[in-house]
Amino acid sequence: MPNETTESRPGEISNSKEQGPPIYLKLEDNIKQICDRLGNSPDLIVRAYESPFQNIRVKTLYINGLIDKELVEEYITHALSFDSLRQGIEPAAEEAFAYAKEKAQNIGKEKIVEDQNSLLEGLLSGDTMILFDGLEKGISVSTSGGEGRSVTEATTQVNIRGPKDSFTESLGTNLSLVRKRIKNPNLWVETLTIGAVTKTDVSIVHIHGLAKEETLQQIRKKLADIHVDSILESGYIEQLIEENNYSPFPTLYNTERPDSVAGNLLEGRIAIFVDGTPFVLILPATFFMFFHTVEDYYQRYDISSIIRILRFICLLVSLFGPAIFVAALNFHQEMIPTPLLINFASQREGVPFPVVIEVLLLEVTFEIIREAGIRMPSQIGQTVSIIGGLVLGQAAVQAGIVSPAMVIVVSLTGISSFATPAFNMALSIRILRFIITFVAAYIGLYGIAIIGLMLVAHLCSLRSLGVPYMSPVAPFASGDQKDIFLRTPLHFMKTRRRLISKDSKVPGTTAQLSRDGRHES
Amino acid sequence: MKAKLALLLAAVLGCSLVLSGCWNSRELNELAIVSGIGLDALDGKPGYRVTFQIINPSSSAQTTGSASNQPPIIIVSATDRTIFGALRKASRRATRQLFFAHTQLVLIGESLAQKGITSLFDIFERSHELRLNSAVLVSKGTDAASVLKLLTTLESMPSMGLLKKMQNTSKVWGENRIITVFEVVNGITGESDFTINGVEIVGDAAEGEKKSSLEQSEPMVGSLMSGLGVFKEGRLIGWLNGPESRGTQWVLDKLNETNVNIVSPDMEEDIAVNIFYSKTRVKVDLQDGKPVFHVHISEEGIINETGGFVDLGKEDELQALEKGIADKTAAEVRQAVKAAQDMKTDIFNFGNELKRIHPQDWETVKEDWSGAFAEGELDLKVDAYIRSTGMRLKPYIPAKK
Repeated sequence: MPNETTESRPGEISNSKEQGPPIYLKLEDNIKQICDRLGNSPDLIVRAYESPFQNIRVKTLYINGLIDKELVEEYITHALSFDSLRQGIEPAAEEAFAYAKEKAQNIGKEKIVEDQNSLLEGLLSGDTMILFDGLEKGISVSTSGGEGRSVTEATTQVNIRGPKDSFTESLGTNLSLVRKRIKNPNLWVETLTIGAVTKTDVSIVHIHGLAKEETLQQIRKKLADIHVDSILESGYIEQLIEENNYSPFPTLYNTERPDSVAGNLLEGRIAIFVDGTPFVLILPATFFMFFHTVEDYYQRYDISSIIRILRFICLLVSLFGPAIFVAALNFHQEMIPTPLLINFASQREGVPFPVVIEVLLLEVTFEIIREAGIRMPSQIGQTVSIIGGLVLGQAAVQAGIVSPAMVIVVSLTGISSFATPAFNMALSIRILRFIITFVAAYIGLYGIAIIGLMLVAHLCSLRSLGVPYMSPVAPFASGDQKDIFLRTPLHFMKTRRRLISKDSKVPGTTAQLSRDGRHES
Repeated sequence: MKAKLALLLAAVLGCSLVLSGCWNSRELNELAIVSGIGLDALDGKPGYRVTFQIINPSSSAQTTGSASNQPPIIIVSATDRTIFGALRKASRRATRQLFFAHTQLVLIGESLAQKGITSLFDIFERSHELRLNSAVLVSKGTDAASVLKLLTTLESMPSMGLLKKMQNTSKVWGENRIITVFEVVNGITGESDFTINGVEIVGDAAEGEKKSSLEQSEPMVGSLMSGLGVFKEGRLIGWLNGPESRGTQWVLDKLNETNVNIVSPDMEEDIAVNIFYSKTRVKVDLQDGKPVFHVHISEEGIINETGGFVDLGKEDELQALEKGIADKTAAEVRQAVKAAQDMKTDIFNFGNELKRIHPQDWETVKEDWSGAFAEGELDLKVDAYIRSTGMRLKPYIPAKK
């Protein structure tokens, strides 16, 4: 709603940083001006307040849907009743204004607005405005609220054990979800507004004393350098501040889980909350973060360690699976055990395509099914996967278009790629898989080795806010290995990662931080 | 400028990838997988007849799109002065390029083996496709081609079947063991002589090529692992059979497991002992200019069957049986050594052993090692132990009154 009204005239709003024209003396002029600038939008509510005094005329303005109705109601009935002013005779407007201002303190965040632009801006972010006839100023009270999605279970990062809540679209709710987990005064929040048109609130959250000051400065600077019209999702921020735009790998982590954010903050990382999206950015991010889940810390260490190893195996399978199959079948037939080779050979007898084409055919089919399944309503999504997976796969084999072994390879690869907990990392792997398969079809295992080396070199060259992407494996830090490929018992994790956290001391001895959470990831 | 350069570089790299790529790429259905190679001599002419056993994938794999009635293998052969020439010539008969990396067997015809096989294996060492760990066999009493042509039951691929037969018998019976190309090459280059497994056809070879021969519970034709061919200076000069060949494996310390029927004082080969462990230590030295072969065998066995009453609960009974095992083993080993000495062929690696331990002594007998070997003395010591009597002690058979 507010977007619609503001976007119709971005020019006028966008220069609001400068002092706008002052508020008119006459109340009617002001109302008319505001209505004009909002394009006579029906959601602007103007309520006249019947004052007991003749000379004081007051009107309150707010935008329907952005405010907390109860709050507004309470405010108007109590603050503007001018109860104590009744004794006097005909108070001046100035006097009434001061009275209302004082009363507004009950609600909080009250301020005096003196120009048109801040008035409008306040309205659009859910403030209630009180304008007095005959005064060139108004009172703004923060009453933002309105309808929002309630806290529900996480949908993209589901877990078996652990908290079920997830972030919503409301910045305030999201911050509170983290605050509830870290009851510590050192959890600091800085908020700024980004987006010339959308005026989106963006909060930088860190734990004072754990996060590195340089990193914070860097983030502040990067956010201040953003000059765009709109921030509709944290993905905008991600793309605008990441250093490696042309890398297939994500260098910022995003999550919709408050416990994940809390855990990362406790490791000394910094979170960026964006109003209007449940996805919170976490940085600096390293490669291995994308293969860890918060649940790793909730389950016992042995189980978590094995599952982590499994995830890394799945990473290799989803990256190299089809490539190795193609390379072995086209170039290195001697590597396959004889009975298996004969099986493959007999399956391929009737297949008219080269192995690569077969792989691509199935992979592309698989991607189509997946893409279609995501956008479908969930009931139909099931049908798509049944039609795609069972019918198409089975029929393709019987029609002699692909060989059965190929179906196994491709479906195993597809399932493996779902084992990567971070969806954005899984997407990168999906793309890389095609490239690697192509290279394998050209020059076999040699090509896989070459592209593997290139990938490793590229990964080692990446940085996420100055932190090497592959740390602590490259550069190797022996002390930080206990939570990378394995998840060692919690009592082993007594230090934070040096490259990420300012204070890598044993948590119990950290000065102000009396409560420990988990400390490494 | 920089962008232009990068574009150019990308174009050059891309072209080189596209132009050079795939040069060695071969689809599986363009390959004829060779499972066995047969080498035969030509009558009166130099050169070889090379026979290839090619796997027919559509009828040899378990899962097939269309069941076919074709035999699981196809035989293609060609003759040429060289093996490589023959295999390239075979392309006139084969629809696909022959692919050798999965060759399980190399069969040498008896007549070729008698002519000499010294120069045969160069291509195996030179080629990147042919493997050194393919098993080598000599066809006994027939040519290599007819063994390759035999169809087998149970194993759809005959070469695989023969290989498994070899593995199986070497594991539980011990007269034969898998001898690879690599070992044969070592035998040719070493100071001693060597042996190669023999295989013979039982039944009518011509019948065995037909699929109909498989359509009865007892196949009319089959192949049988049979004895060891003794090679002296690369030529087949004779065969060791039965106990002689098992004795050979014993001396060579290649015995995995076998069965020995014991001769005990009151029973004639009625007790079956499963030898499950055997270790042989060999030392060779010269005494008065004559080589002495010190062979020390220690073996362990389990009593698996008795044909009469024997009180296995008694220690002295067991000791008597242990002695019986040792005697039986010693007899076989002596038989093997005697047979080799008769042929003046050192198949036991004694020559290499002497050279390794006493190089000076070796210099003195090097010139006429075969002769020296034939006159050598065997100093044999066998320690046998019975580790278990199976799941009972005394047999149910009543003692003789």
